Amino acid sequence: MKSLLRYGVLIVGAVVFAYPFAWMIAGSFRPELEIGELGLWSRHYTLQSYDMVFSKIPIGRAFLNSLIVSCATTVSVVLFGSMAGYALARLRFIGSRALYVLILFTMMIPFQIVLIPQYILMVKLGWTDSYLGLIAPTMLSAFSIVLFRQFFLAIPQGLIDAARIDGATELTILFRLIWPLSRPVIVTVAILTFMTSWNEVLWPLLVVRDQSLMTMPQIVTLFTIGGGSEAHLGSLLSAATLLAFPVIVAYAFFQRYFIESMASTGIKG
Amino acid sequence: MILPYVIFFLAFVAYPLTFSIILVFHRWNIVTPMEWIGLKNFERLLDDPLFFISLKNTLVFLGIHIPLQIIVALGFALLLNAKIRGRGLFRALYFMPVVVSGVVVTILWQQMYSYDYGVLNSILHALGLGPVPWLVDALVAMPAIAVMATWKNVGIYIVLFLAGLQTVPRELYEAARVDGATPARQFFHITLPLLNPTVVVIIVLSTIGGFGLFIEPYVLTGGGPMQSTLSGMLYIYNQGFYFSHMGYAATLGIVYAVIILLVVLVQRKVVEREPE
Amino acid sequence: MAIARILIVVALVPFLAGCSKRAQEAEAAGQIELLYWPAPNPQEVKLADTLVRRWNQLHPDIHVRMQPIPVSQSTEEVLLASIAGGTTPDVCSNIQPGALYDYIRAKGLVPLSRFPEFDTLARARGDSALLESFRSGDGQFYQIPWKSNPVMMFYNKRLLHEGGVPDVPRTFSEYLAAGKKVTRDLNGDGQTDVWMGERDIRPIWWQRLFDFFPFYIAASGGRTLFTRGDFTPDRRAATEVFAFFHACYEERIYPRTFFQGGDPFLLEKKATHFSGPWEVASIRKFAPALEFGVAPLPVPDGTTGPVYTHGDFKNISIFSTTRYPEAAWKFVEYLLRPENDLLLLEICDQIPVRNDLLTNPLFADYFGRNPIMVEFARQAPRGRGIDAAPDLKEFFDTLSQVYEMCAVYGTIDPDEAVRQMIKRTTMIVEWNR
Repeated sequence: MKSLLRYGVLIVGAVVFAYPFAWMIAGSFRPELEIGELGLWSRHYTLQSYDMVFSKIPIGRAFLNSLIVSCATTVSVVLFGSMAGYALARLRFIGSRALYVLILFTMMIPFQIVLIPQYILMVKLGWTDSYLGLIAPTMLSAFSIVLFRQFFLAIPQGLIDAARIDGATELTILFRLIWPLSRPVIVTVAILTFMTSWNEVLWPLLVVRDQSLMTMPQIVTLFTIGGGSEAHLGSLLSAATLLAFPVIVAYAFFQRYFIESMASTGIKG
Repeated sequence: MILPYVIFFLAFVAYPLTFSIILVFHRWNIVTPMEWIGLKNFERLLDDPLFFISLKNTLVFLGIHIPLQIIVALGFALLLNAKIRGRGLFRALYFMPVVVSGVVVTILWQQMYSYDYGVLNSILHALGLGPVPWLVDALVAMPAIAVMATWKNVGIYIVLFLAGLQTVPRELYEAARVDGATPARQFFHITLPLLNPTVVVIIVLSTIGGFGLFIEPYVLTGGGPMQSTLSGMLYIYNQGFYFSHMGYAATLGIVYAVIILLVVLVQRKVVEREPE
Repeated sequence: MAIARILIVVALVPFLAGCSKRAQEAEAAGQIELLYWPAPNPQEVKLADTLVRRWNQLHPDIHVRMQPIPVSQSTEEVLLASIAGGTTPDVCSNIQPGALYDYIRAKGLVPLSRFPEFDTLARARGDSALLESFRSGDGQFYQIPWKSNPVMMFYNKRLLHEGGVPDVPRTFSEYLAAGKKVTRDLNGDGQTDVWMGERDIRPIWWQRLFDFFPFYIAASGGRTLFTRGDFTPDRRAATEVFAFFHACYEERIYPRTFFQGGDPFLLEKKATHFSGPWEVASIRKFAPALEFGVAPLPVPDGTTGPVYTHGDFKNISIFSTTRYPEAAWKFVEYLLRPENDLLLLEICDQIPVRNDLLTNPLFADYFGRNPIMVEFARQAPRGRGIDAAPDLKEFFDTLSQVYEMCAVYGTIDPDEAVRQMIKRTTMIVEWNR
């Protein structure tokens, strides 16, 4: 009996958390009049909402932009984050302890303080309306450095010493020796970075005004509040579906990694 | 090795922070030269009704969002913390709203909350109840956003609680049962204290996130009705980018940041307990 | 490699020398080039094109190049950015008088009053009260009035008639009484089908330019809100206007939601609409069967004298980066000639600001063919522009919040609304000193 109740609640939960997405996807294929309905069924599935979205906003281009920005950010964070993490974990240099504390400190700085001056910096450098402006401020992440350092501390010093004796440079050690051993943390950082970067919308709203450079969440946001949809509810659902689609697909494949990475960082955080 | 980070730090952390502090004493709209105005930004802040309204709104938001989140997350985690089939599937479904963009969630809930066409009001109508002005009434709007934010994020915390629950050693429960403790006692004396660190993490993260609430009010309500959903971040955005008051926006930023730090410190003092 | 670099530099030098030489040659030949920016909407671009072409034929020594203002959030933003970046045109005809504060502070404009012909020309465009409103804080004029789109009340003749309202309402009481008759449920389904009016209830700052601001100007007999940078509202007028809109919502003759799915005036769901002459083209295009009339805005009961309104002026200015101020001024004078004002009427259906608009036979034909435009022409001299005060957007934003509380939701009464408006605006003004 108790078990039935347990399953019952869990299933209700699943419906509450997952059904809205199904409704959204179904709604994007339904004609305007049926959108208020709860069910997923329709007699007249149609692509008209999608037509509207594609004709009004350059969403394909935005997808590309998001892809470029997110990939570049992820590569950068993994690359430079692992470098810094390694340096802090295994290289002895003056001030490494102090630097680490400083990095921890920066993780606590709320975005509110940094928002305006970072924007001004972009303006001064002329990086507004450019990929550089979108990528640069997120190229490194203190969080990733902490994760990498944590992981690298567990790698046996012996391995590293052996490599050094063989005459390997530090960079070689990092890429040839440590990276292959670090799959879990690299995957974790990569997934977290990619997801955060993909979903980021406040920063692009500030830095990019040119439609051809907008990221996907940004363009969908402006479509929603800018009246481009002309109160056509179906097109809003279509835009949202398009925006969610890549992430949901990635999630379907890598779902375990997503959840595990969140869990592991949470415990350490 | 560490050079890239140092450069990054100087450019994107040190410089913005320093510049922020300088900006606070100036009036600037980027286009014309900066003007020194001393403490005028702070004077203005103290007289600014919108600043205080945004603080109040954030408190309303957090006041609903945090407890709701903890209760729901803990509840589901407890349910999942048993030998049940499909636990992975449930976990994956609960986590889905987390990975998706906030914009998607906002659009979805905008439709659900819609007064005339929304799904929620349709359900209420079917039950014979009147429609609720979810986003149109000043008293309902922010709570509605808090519920939506909970729906979006609770997946992370279910996972965190679940992981936390699974690290509790079985022996503790065994020992307690032998001592005749009821499940309720076990929960309050073993589970909860051991989950304390997780709870603290959730509260702190949710608080910082709550102060940074932006895209939801921006898209759903524009800060209304009657500024009841104006969040701190949204106000900074308006002042900085809509009105081009860079100095005042920087001032708001610093003050909010200080408030966040103070609130988090207090929360940790109050909630954090060493497990015995 | 170094050799290659040297070669490239050497190759470029004659180029650079040649470029500047060409400019010098051009100048030596007396060829002056001016850059003119009209507003980016299609009609004005067409007008500008025609005007510029004719000018270039008449004045081979002063060549004018026309370029529509780059499209962005707003013209004011673009102009301000161009002043900062040094990419300003010589002449621009889309100058909104409220934005002047920022332009002048950035030292971007040439004082037009220094040109000897300015005085006569300006006096022919408007009466002294109107002109005074365009004078800047330092006593100079940095703009000359060009065109106006006065905000008036459009009304649906059929809806008023069917509602049992024989005369067009002229005062607040008449309007409210008419509203109670007109607003009703036609088919008994419990939903109101016809409203007296409707406004977007979201506190969007520029919406006030079509409700509070013009009504206030009308109620105060032509006063605006700022004097030389100080906030000096006519409290009585402001209170009456807040009370009026408060009543519209409280008496339920205005809906407390916003319509999705089309313009309610064009769909004949609302009887009155406050807008400018551009609405005429819209009606002709989308709702040709709509029988409408245009009247001055309603005023508080007992108000005497002519009715004023928000003129939505667009003026012409010369930018300080110009190398040929005299030539630019000549071009400005040309733009203001009567035959070109006629083109403004013909091509854009917008009202040139001039005293002889209804008396000069040149325009008689146009007004004969477009009688509804006569109403606007009559109203235009009694229009007022937005004050050139700092932080206008924030001011209107604050005003919108107070308006939302008082009129739309009724949570504060009109007196409190005025008090809050003054308190918060004064705070903004003080901060800007």
